[in-house]
Amino acid sequence: MKKNETISNLQIRNLLITTVIGVGILSLPNQMVTILDNDGWIPIIFGGLLVIPFAVMLDRVYKLYPDKNIYQIGREVYGKFIFNIFMIIILMYFVIQDAYVARIFAEVVKAYLLETTPIEVIIITILFISAYLARCEIQVLGRVATLVYVILITLVGFLVLISLPDADPTNMLPVFNADFKKLPSAITGALFSYAGYEVVFIAYSSSDDKNNTLKYIIRGLLVVIGIYLIVFVITLSLFGIDQVKRQIWPTIAIANEVDLPGYFLEDLEGIILALWVVIVYSTLGPLLFAASRIFLNIFTTKSHDFIVLLLIPIIYVISILPVNVVEVYEKFGKVSNYFIAASIMGIPAVLFIGALVKKRRSKA
Amino acid sequence: MVDKISKDIKENVEKFKNTFKDADDLVYRNIKIGKKNKKEAYLIFIDGMVDKSVISDYAIEVLFDEMEIDESNLDSYKTSLSEKISEESIAVHDVKEEDSYDKLVDMILAGETVLLIDGSDKALILSTRGWPTRGVQEPQTETVVRGPRDGFVETLRFNTALLRRHIRDPKLKIKTLQVGRRSKTDVAVVYIEDIANDKIVEEVINRINKIDIDYLPGSAAMEALIEDSYLSLFPQLENTERPDSAAASLLEGRVVIIVDNTPFVLMVPATIGTLFQSTEDYYSRWPIGTLVRFVRILSAILTAVSPALYIAFTAYHPGLIPTAFTLYLAASRVNVPFPAVIEAFLMEITIEILRESGTRIAGPIGTTIGIVGGIIIGQAAVEAGIVSPLKIIITAITTISFFAIPSYEWASSLRIIRFAFMFLAAVLGLYGLMLGIAILIVHLAKLESFTVPFSAPYSGLGLKEGDLKDTLVKAPIQKLKRRPQFTFPKDKTRMK
Repeated sequence: MKKNETISNLQIRNLLITTVIGVGILSLPNQMVTILDNDGWIPIIFGGLLVIPFAVMLDRVYKLYPDKNIYQIGREVYGKFIFNIFMIIILMYFVIQDAYVARIFAEVVKAYLLETTPIEVIIITILFISAYLARCEIQVLGRVATLVYVILITLVGFLVLISLPDADPTNMLPVFNADFKKLPSAITGALFSYAGYEVVFIAYSSSDDKNNTLKYIIRGLLVVIGIYLIVFVITLSLFGIDQVKRQIWPTIAIANEVDLPGYFLEDLEGIILALWVVIVYSTLGPLLFAASRIFLNIFTTKSHDFIVLLLIPIIYVISILPVNVVEVYEKFGKVSNYFIAASIMGIPAVLFIGALVKKRRSKA
Repeated sequence: MVDKISKDIKENVEKFKNTFKDADDLVYRNIKIGKKNKKEAYLIFIDGMVDKSVISDYAIEVLFDEMEIDESNLDSYKTSLSEKISEESIAVHDVKEEDSYDKLVDMILAGETVLLIDGSDKALILSTRGWPTRGVQEPQTETVVRGPRDGFVETLRFNTALLRRHIRDPKLKIKTLQVGRRSKTDVAVVYIEDIANDKIVEEVINRINKIDIDYLPGSAAMEALIEDSYLSLFPQLENTERPDSAAASLLEGRVVIIVDNTPFVLMVPATIGTLFQSTEDYYSRWPIGTLVRFVRILSAILTAVSPALYIAFTAYHPGLIPTAFTLYLAASRVNVPFPAVIEAFLMEITIEILRESGTRIAGPIGTTIGIVGGIIIGQAAVEAGIVSPLKIIITAITTISFFAIPSYEWASSLRIIRFAFMFLAAVLGLYGLMLGIAILIVHLAKLESFTVPFSAPYSGLGLKEGDLKDTLVKAPIQKLKRRPQFTFPKDKTRMK
């Protein structure tokens, strides 16, 4: 019996959400506040909305070439050689992104859970375990994402619940008071938090109902924007602008800050971090999956399993290059900005234009 | 080439005697039928496998009395001699004609009686099955407060009848297959034709047909032989001893597999959702049904992770739990000479030993083991200061949670996972435990049960159709208008 290789739109939506939300959720409030003060929520929304047109373009490309996956379309439009160059750029992006997520993850785990464990151990374990997910087929990724989505919603709900009594909405004020010349750079920074949505480029072709996929992708992006906004608002209203500026991962600190009646609800970082491990896992796995799939298509090798294991040492080496957390954010931030622009916007736009031109020409 | 029986009765009987050499439970009853032209006939059956009164009253006696064979007249019957006997002189409810020797041997072994008649090239098979059986009793494993009390038995035919009693629908199909080169165990594949998805039915039958084994020791072996991933810790089939439960699953579009000689029938496909269901849910009001579903899911989590959490928090992150609790934990462990890891493994292994000795020994001695194990060891260990009272409580909670999960196989796999989690927590603390959980999630997502994702409905399949209404919670029966989606039923509506 033929194996069921399709994935439902709901699963694509969840895959998008769980892949995008990972380590960014911890540092996003701090990054936004540092650039735009109290108006940090504006770039979060704009960054997310900016992605949507490119999702629409991707959808159009797939509509022009139904029953083909992104590699086949790319090759048909641009020829094998040129498209392979694109793919190598995307592959590098996925590898670097994976390394970045693994490193930040390890830094957080080391800071809060395992003070004495070497950071290398944490990176290696999480990479190998995400390889287990990356070696699965796309439908398994979709199922895992749906299971993890529940955990993600639990985590966000929990954060909201514990911070409600202490939150002070006046901390959000004043709004529209920031220097809006900085907005473009803030949006670029926010876009960083939407990295990972490229996984839908690959997942799209496995959808069981392609007519509605776009709708679900947009819904997914809206959920991500919503979750980021919720986290931003509760962090800012709980801590006030000065404190948020001083903490690299203000989201975790929420659990420490809250002081609910009844002693049992203090020191809840444990719960938050524990749930967060699984959420990051569902970011790393799909990224690694995407990297290996692209690798597979560039070099037309057959064994998907082997490539995943081949990529791990590369990702590991890249991830331990920076010396400390500050350097991680600086270095990866600089490199990734170009890649993110290239992959989030570049690929759909280039494919879209190329496909349109090609179709026009063939008609004429 | 089919080995056919000959017209010469002596030759046939010799052949049977040769096949069943040294099988002393075989009976060859020689009778002469007819009043004028005595014709020789043989009844061959296995002593103990047949209903003797049927043979003596309705076969032998009737043959003695009424049979008048007029050889000259035989041509006036268009049919053969054996058919005439079958039509006129046998008072057994089911009689078949057969001329294949191997088939006859099979039928004798199954408990039928073979009637050989001199001069006829066909033998008659009289349906006389009747061996010692257990009557329908209340199932031992899945007791309910307010449900039917009948349970499946070891005889396949009784079990199919019990199912028919629940569903009087001509669309209820019962396909009988045979598995086992030597045991020739009957296996019935039961499904409702216009509900069950053809692909699943086909897959089940294909997998059963592929089995090539000499002896099939019950439904557990069948389960192992046809499940998707036999290396996995988790059961991908569900079993039950209750006809009502099997009937309900048939109406969900599932396929039921009944194996002869075992009262446990198999239900496929199984998912995480179905493994948390119990028959009792459908015999109680919906709020309590919903509550127990939550309790079961909580129990499953507790069974798997609570000892690991204990290790992680005491050994690695005392700072991550509320301060007052940390202090209490430290105080209760002051006298304990072992590290938390050793303490936890010690207690969990002890409880495994206790459980094993308790299940093997029934009755009053079993109770003694409970008392010795539970009270004496537990109490003494705490008083001696070998383990902390909190650890005893956690061990007890873990064990009790285990029994709150309706599926024994599902619970047992979580029980094994618990040790893996404990090990991971011992190595990497809370982070290790969460890595274990991540692997578990992926493994569950990878598992499939007869092409249906095992992790349904939580992993997406049927979420939109509302499968959660009968898995995560138990919605009022008025709200369960559609069949669950995970079986891809042909007929989707249950109620209008």
